[in-house]
Amino acid sequence: MLQMNNIKKVFRTDLVETHALRDFSLQVEEGEFVAVTGPSGSGKTTFLNITGMLETFDGGTYMLDGQDVKGLNDKQRSRLRNEKIGFIFQSFNLIPDLNLFDNVDVPLRYRGFSSKERKQRIENALERVGLSARLKHLPSQLSGGQQQRVAIARALAGEPRFLLADEPTGNLDSLMARQVMQLLEEINQQGTTIIMVTHDSELARRAHRNIHIVDGQVSDYQDLQPVLEVAEA
Amino acid sequence: MFKYYLMLSWLSVKRTPMLTALMVLAIGLGISVTMTVLTVNYLMGKDPIPEKSHQLFHVQLYTYGKDRSNPRSADGYPYQVTYQDAMNLSRSEIPNRKTRSLQTGYSVIPSSSDSSPFMETARAIDSDFFAMFKVPFIYGGAWESSVDTKAKQVVVLGKEINDRLFKGENSVGKQVNLNSNLYTVVGVIDDWQPAIHYYDLNNNHFGDTQQIFVPFSLLPVLELPSWGNNNGWKTETINTYQDKLNSEQMWNQFWVELESPQQKEKFQAWLEGYVEQQKQLGRFEHENAGGSLKDVVEWMDYNNVVSDDNTILVGLAFMFLAVCLINTIGLLLAKFLRRAPEVGVRRALGASQGEIFVQHLVDVGLIGLAGGTLGLLLGQLGLWGIKQLYANYHQLVYMDMTLVVLAILIAIGSSVVAGLYPAWKICRTNPSIYLKIQ
Repeated sequence: MLQMNNIKKVFRTDLVETHALRDFSLQVEEGEFVAVTGPSGSGKTTFLNITGMLETFDGGTYMLDGQDVKGLNDKQRSRLRNEKIGFIFQSFNLIPDLNLFDNVDVPLRYRGFSSKERKQRIENALERVGLSARLKHLPSQLSGGQQQRVAIARALAGEPRFLLADEPTGNLDSLMARQVMQLLEEINQQGTTIIMVTHDSELARRAHRNIHIVDGQVSDYQDLQPVLEVAEA
Repeated sequence: MFKYYLMLSWLSVKRTPMLTALMVLAIGLGISVTMTVLTVNYLMGKDPIPEKSHQLFHVQLYTYGKDRSNPRSADGYPYQVTYQDAMNLSRSEIPNRKTRSLQTGYSVIPSSSDSSPFMETARAIDSDFFAMFKVPFIYGGAWESSVDTKAKQVVVLGKEINDRLFKGENSVGKQVNLNSNLYTVVGVIDDWQPAIHYYDLNNNHFGDTQQIFVPFSLLPVLELPSWGNNNGWKTETINTYQDKLNSEQMWNQFWVELESPQQKEKFQAWLEGYVEQQKQLGRFEHENAGGSLKDVVEWMDYNNVVSDDNTILVGLAFMFLAVCLINTIGLLLAKFLRRAPEVGVRRALGASQGEIFVQHLVDVGLIGLAGGTLGLLLGQLGLWGIKQLYANYHQLVYMDMTLVVLAILIAIGSSVVAGLYPAWKICRTNPSIYLKIQ
């Protein structure tokens, strides 16, 4: 359902060309929980941005749910992103002057749902992450773990088929990280495909599959153990 | 979505109040200066009697001798007519209404001994004047049309002078002492203050209208002096008032009301016939001798009521607005780029570039609306300043609803234009840059 073949991404300045991804190929099946690891600058975030259609790519093909992404214009990409992809970020990226209800409302607004349906979805999503009692709170009134749960609720409210998580526990202490990870696992068990970039080997180990990226290429995604050993080393 | 964008704009205002206030101030200043100048210019050039301006015609006659012309007018015609022409023109039966007109003046002697006499400009006219120019009455009305040929000492007073002489009471039937002659009041007009004195552009275009209206037929009887322009081109000996009446001096105006183009055509032909007749009598020697009819708007254009200086001033005011908007563009860029991380999040959550663009234009529109409102308030201050500096302009220094709406539209429109580049810039920002570092 997500297939990348020979994806290339080059960042150019006047002086230098950086090959962020080179002949990057990957296939992710429906319902998978894939962890993406790799050293800093290896291309993990670029991969995630291309997957989420926030970045374009210079070569190769990318099929999302059978749709060739390359030929889509900005409006079509935005629509596809809104309907099929949910994002979770390391720094939560909640909008500080919107309360929890309005933060979760953001993707639903662009989806064009009715006010009644939006309300229902927002309440369900916040209930799912255990924050239904704090609809009117601002993000600044919540702990880091709670903020990340709101971000997850926001990502889930539109019922996307993919959840892209970029270091979702990077800013959390270990207890909160475990809680968030547990939540992601529950979401995955309910059928949402998750692709998670992480530096945390323990979290990566809990995924179904681990992809290790080095120098913009998939180093090994068949055998989990050697990758984790490298990561731990 | 528009309501949602408005809500986001309001949040944005609350988030950056100082920056927003600076932008509102910049737009407000620009709008106030532009609207102050535009108001004066607009009211100067506005059709003062739109419902019948195309039916009222000012009559001109090319009465000059050979090789003479009016260097100030576009076609060389004199602005006014002689007394003898005014008399002859008034004999035509073609116009529905017609009036001779002259600016004169009086020494008004109040009946009360504790009030001092005072000077007051007046207008000598025919009875049709009031109906032609839609002058509103509060008491009485115009004198009978028979007075236009058989002089009678009657007067129509303005509200202001009626308040002064009769404490605002109905003075119809009472007498007023003008130049030591008693006149009977037949009517009192309401506060009639057309922005432009279009019925007599030879004298002061602006300022208060006359408060005393007397029959034109009184001119030869009481030898009413001209308090307006007297234009002569011929060397003539004028020792007596009768000499002046018989002279080629141009000091009267003549207006006709013609309801249809056919009627206008008919009167124009009559006018040409009159010119031919006068030629045969030894007058109107110029090769261009003829008659000309100009409706109210044409007459105002012909007299350059809105001068080139005013037009230049409007241009300068708009340039000032442009400078304010250029400053606003810089401030908008700063405001929007501060919000780039949020835009990144919105893009990640499914907002298209178009939606981000529109959201920011709504933001700018709201600032423009606030700037326009401030501009209107500051504009009132500017108009008040003009009123203090130029007393004659007081009829031109108010904003009607058209101008208020125009001010808001200019403010919003120009703000949105100013916001196009910043909004385009922010919607084109690569969202991924901000998602990692927010």
